[in-house]
Amino acid sequence: MAKDAFGAKVKERANWPVTVGLILVALVVIVFPLYMTVRIAVSKSMPTGLDIFSLPATWDLANFAEAMEKTQFFSSFMNSLIITVVAVVVSILVHSLAAYAIGRNMERRAFKLSYLFIIAGMYVPFAILMMPLVKQTAIMHLDNMVGVMLLYIVFYMPMNIMLYTGYLRNIPVALEEAARVDGASTWTTYWKVIFPIMKPMHATVAILTGLAVWNDVMTPLVIMGGSGVYTLPLAQMSFQTAFGTDYPLAFASYLLAMLPMIIFYIVAQKQIIGGVTNGAVK
Amino acid sequence: MASLTKSKVGSARMKTFYAILIPVLILFVAFNTFPLITGVFYSFTDSKGYGAFNIVGLLNYADLFTDTRVLNSYLFTFKVAVVATIFTNVVSLMLAIALSSKIRFKSALRGLFFVPKILGALVVGYVFSYLFTWIIPAMTGTESILASPDLAWIAIVVVLVWQGCAQTTIIYITGLSSVPEDVYEAGALDGATGWNKFRYITLPLIMPSITTNMVLVMKDMLMVFDQIVAMTSGGPSQSTESISFLIYNNGLAGGQFGFQCANAVIFFVLIAAISIIQTNFLSSREEQL
Amino acid sequence: MLNKPITRRTLLGGLGAASALLFAGCASETADGRVQVEFVSYKQEAKALFDQIQADFNASHDDVVLKIDSPADAVTIMKTRFVRENYPDVIGIGGDADYASFVDSEILADVSDYEGMANVQEAYRNILESVTYVPMDGIYGVPYVANAAGMLYNVDMFEEKGWPIPQTWDELIELCETIKGEGEVAPFYLGYLDTWTILSPWNSITVNMVPQDLARQVNAGQAKFADWYGEPARRMRQMLQYSQTCLPGEPGPFAASYNDACTSFANGKSAMYPCGSFAVPQILTGNPDVNVGMFAMPSADDPADRIVVSGVDLQWCVSAACQHKEAVYEVLDYLADRENLQTYISDQRAIPCVEGDFELDSLFDGIQEFLDEGRVLDYLDHSYQSAMAVDAQLQTMLLDERDDDTAIAAFLEKFDTDWLRYNRAVIRKVQEYESQQ
Repeated sequence: MAKDAFGAKVKERANWPVTVGLILVALVVIVFPLYMTVRIAVSKSMPTGLDIFSLPATWDLANFAEAMEKTQFFSSFMNSLIITVVAVVVSILVHSLAAYAIGRNMERRAFKLSYLFIIAGMYVPFAILMMPLVKQTAIMHLDNMVGVMLLYIVFYMPMNIMLYTGYLRNIPVALEEAARVDGASTWTTYWKVIFPIMKPMHATVAILTGLAVWNDVMTPLVIMGGSGVYTLPLAQMSFQTAFGTDYPLAFASYLLAMLPMIIFYIVAQKQIIGGVTNGAVK
Repeated sequence: MASLTKSKVGSARMKTFYAILIPVLILFVAFNTFPLITGVFYSFTDSKGYGAFNIVGLLNYADLFTDTRVLNSYLFTFKVAVVATIFTNVVSLMLAIALSSKIRFKSALRGLFFVPKILGALVVGYVFSYLFTWIIPAMTGTESILASPDLAWIAIVVVLVWQGCAQTTIIYITGLSSVPEDVYEAGALDGATGWNKFRYITLPLIMPSITTNMVLVMKDMLMVFDQIVAMTSGGPSQSTESISFLIYNNGLAGGQFGFQCANAVIFFVLIAAISIIQTNFLSSREEQL
Repeated sequence: MLNKPITRRTLLGGLGAASALLFAGCASETADGRVQVEFVSYKQEAKALFDQIQADFNASHDDVVLKIDSPADAVTIMKTRFVRENYPDVIGIGGDADYASFVDSEILADVSDYEGMANVQEAYRNILESVTYVPMDGIYGVPYVANAAGMLYNVDMFEEKGWPIPQTWDELIELCETIKGEGEVAPFYLGYLDTWTILSPWNSITVNMVPQDLARQVNAGQAKFADWYGEPARRMRQMLQYSQTCLPGEPGPFAASYNDACTSFANGKSAMYPCGSFAVPQILTGNPDVNVGMFAMPSADDPADRIVVSGVDLQWCVSAACQHKEAVYEVLDYLADRENLQTYISDQRAIPCVEGDFELDSLFDGIQEFLDEGRVLDYLDHSYQSAMAVDAQLQTMLLDERDDDTAIAAFLEKFDTDWLRYNRAVIRKVQEYESQQ
């Protein structure tokens, strides 16, 4: 903050040219595609040519009802929600615990090697696991939502364990010592003392894992594609051909698929941006 | 600090740690390492994915290096990844500087520019595919670039950059905010303005953010899949087939399970090598500056 | 090198065997002891019809429960399920390269014991045999309906304008010039964004210009595609000059999708649409009142030699893992029942593969004589390996901006090279088979 000679706050001069420039860019680049989605979704028929820039004569909400029915919106939405919530909650519980076991024993060879082994998993592209996993999950009867959740917990393990162990380094061991002197077991100490302290990192892990899982299409596609069970993105892909040239219907469906996340973003914008930044910078 | 807590191997504390580590390792091996090994095994077979198959030795690998379709998918993927990574970082840095200056509606604007990150790549791809097919040709009177084998990759880059900038910008903003105000003031006294100020003051200080972003963005871009499915399905003329797309498409639907497993093995080795080289290179530069 | 092909079961030993047992009941029984039979059909456009048939069947049968799925992108779904060894009892697919590959992988059951097979027209049984890589013992599919490809045209528009039906290629081009000159509609509407639609005109043009067994000749090392595919390729490029680009504001041939093309043709934006009878249901969703006709692609030198492309559009293949063949046959009988089949062919504008007195849609009036006289041949692309992506190679050739000769030469060169590469296993099989003869 700039202060004048007497230490009082001076209202800074706003940089209007940059502000206006940014608003214009945001309008063209961010707002327009979203506006276009809404504009087409509420039209009776596809707007031709440059009609897209004018508001529709009538707002037709029938597309939404039809899209909901066609893409089994509610069940797809519930499936996405269940998969995301379970994957996030289990990731937080299991990955933080694993990171605790590893992080507190880095000087031991077995743990250090396990750490490097798991972290190396970040370099394994899904493409190579994809096809063997299709067979493997089917044999294990995991070609369903449970399998998809389980895979997410494994896929995001390297990144999350790295984040947690990094965070753990800054938590002094003395905190645990105090609890141990009081006779608490390692297990109790973890849940009573360490787990609550790692709260900021839980938020980061939840946001990163949650965003990635919610929007992922490839895993459900190969693991449970064709089973008649959809997640929101998988439903968009599976019913793409069924939309045909009915663009208003298709866009109503896209908008419905985007809406839950947009609403969540409006509610928890600060946490989401914070989580993403935290995860990348750490 | 560590020696203070170092427990004996047989102690209850260590038992707890092992009881945690071992199941987690088993889970990881079962769904990451094991399929990786099976993938490598299938790469030596002519499996279609179903039915009977033969072991064919290194034939798939020999074929890989002569298969123009595979070769083109590598060229395409790397072209797109490099161009998209550069553009994402340049655009994000410009946005971040603008969003860090003394503007009005700062948090609203920052929030708005982050929106692409929260949307699913598939649906974003569908929306942009419409934009490229119908809106832009109607405005400019030109043919859709999605229909041109020479230009369709640009559409993919545009969508990748559009989504990639969100997170990258935020990371740059964080990086910029850690540049202390008095560094600029000192620079201003030395007459540093505009480009020089950026080149000699800002850039060295945000080098860590650049490292992070380059690695993060490049890896994401190399895995491009959803955008291809949504916008081009690899066309026109197979000009936009990314490696992941080709492995999925020909491996599962095209009956080339074994061959595409071999492709995936090569892809894995490349990704690992690139990530390691990139991290080492950029962090050594970081120290120099 | 192992001589005996490995199956996953021998590979994974106990685990595989255990899972195979778990999956064995491909037709499971419902709680009340009825046998459940699962069909997966690739005809998504016939979903409503099959839903109805399924409901009718289940209402009238108390021993078998029928379930017919018609998902989007069905063939990918089938293949993914095969990878998972989770086989539906019956798959409904075309008599195409996928079928050949399934037969080759030994995942389909021999259905020569099906009594209804006797009612299937011989021509279509033969077509199925010609698709497989080497002649097979046994029969692996029950042909249900066939389709035909040629040139679809807007009957009312042709009558109104007094345009003649072209009998030769020159007449077709002359007609295109006339239509283009009038400038009201486009001669063709091409939806080449979806690459597979390119195969339709390619098949109809080429079938008139190459030997019938060219693919097998090539596999036996007796011919090259380059000797035959040049002229059809030239005609494909020529057709591009008469696409919707002559109208303002229309997306080009490579920007328009199959759906766009069907809708636009339905709404009178073009006079003709080089596609097959299978597109007509989609066209009618764009405009139920359009009067669609079909004529044979006039690409033969002598109009009398013209041939219509016709292939098995839908056949029922029983999976080798199925344990309820009798129940499956009961369903197949029901599907082939005159009334049900007539409903299907009227709804989907198809040609029945079963002998009997059926009423063909007026769509086929223009090619009726070809069907009656047996002047039909199977789709060439049914012998193309899907991984070779011939459709994309054709698209590349059509998009090649160099002059015709260079573009076509590049296409031919790549075609022969790729053919050998993608058919290596097949060629080995064919040559082994021939050396044994």
